[in-house]
Amino acid sequence: MQNASDRGGSRGAGRGGGGDGGDEEKRGGRGGFGRKKVCRFCSEKNSKVDFKDQATLKYFVTERGKIIPRRISGNCAKHQRQMATAIKRARALALIPYTVMSG
Amino acid sequence: MPDSTSDKRLREYETIFLLKPELTDENVDRIRERVRGIVQREGGKVLRFTVWGKKRTMYPIAKQARAIYVHAHYLGKPGLVSEVERNLRNLDEVTRYMSVKIADDVDPESRPALDDVKLTGDVDEARAPGPEREEFRPPELVEEIAELDEEPIEEA
Repeated sequence: MQNASDRGGSRGAGRGGGGDGGDEEKRGGRGGFGRKKVCRFCSEKNSKVDFKDQATLKYFVTERGKIIPRRISGNCAKHQRQMATAIKRARALALIPYTVMSG
Repeated sequence: MPDSTSDKRLREYETIFLLKPELTDENVDRIRERVRGIVQREGGKVLRFTVWGKKRTMYPIAKQARAIYVHAHYLGKPGLVSEVERNLRNLDEVTRYMSVKIADDVDPESRPALDDVKLTGDVDEARAPGPEREEFRPPELVEEIAELDEEPIEEA
C-alpha cells in the first residue's frame, strides 16, 4: 500500500516532487521523520480535552490560530474531534485567537 | 437502567461568563451571588464558582482588551441554563457567556459543593493561570506547521 501512512504526501505534492512511491523512501532517509505519532490524550489516561486549558490548546493550533490537522498533531479521531470542538469554544471565549493578523 | 427518570437526577453544566474589566470585586461577587441564587431557586446545586480574575482576551471583547472571567460549575434541571443565560443577557456587566453540558444524569448527593476559588488572573505579563506545560515541538513538526500558516501565494 502506498498511502498507508497517515502522514500523507502533502509536502512532496506542494513542492512538485516526484511520484508517491519515491516519497516514502525519502522519508526513510530523514532521521526521525517516520516516527510514529501517538495520540497524546490516549497515552495519558487521565488527561481530557478541556476547552479551558489554554496551555494545552495552544499546542494544537498554529501561530496563526489554525487548528493543526490530525496527520500532524497525531491525535486519534476521537480526540481530534473533541479538540476541534474545544478550540472553537475557547475561541468564542477569547482564550485563543480566531486569527492572528500580520505576517 | 436504574430509576434515572426520577427528578432526583440532575444534569451537570458549566457556564463561563466574561465581565467588564473595570468592575470591582464587590460587583463581581454580587453577580456571582445572583447566579447562585438563580441556580438554587430553580432547584439546582452549585458545585463551584471560580473567578479566574482579569485576563487578557485574545481579541477585544466589548472594545476591551481584558475581561474578568467567571466559571460556574453546577447541577440543574433542564431549563435552568436558559434561565441563567436569560439573566446574564440582561446584565450589562456581562459581555459574553457560554454554557456547556458536562454530563447527564448526575446524583446531586454524590457531588459535594466545593468552596469558591479566586484566581488572580494575569498580573501584567504573567501567563494565564492553569497547568503550564512545556511547549515541545519536534523540529520537523514546526516545519510542517509553518507550511500550514503560509498564505496562499498568487501565481507568478
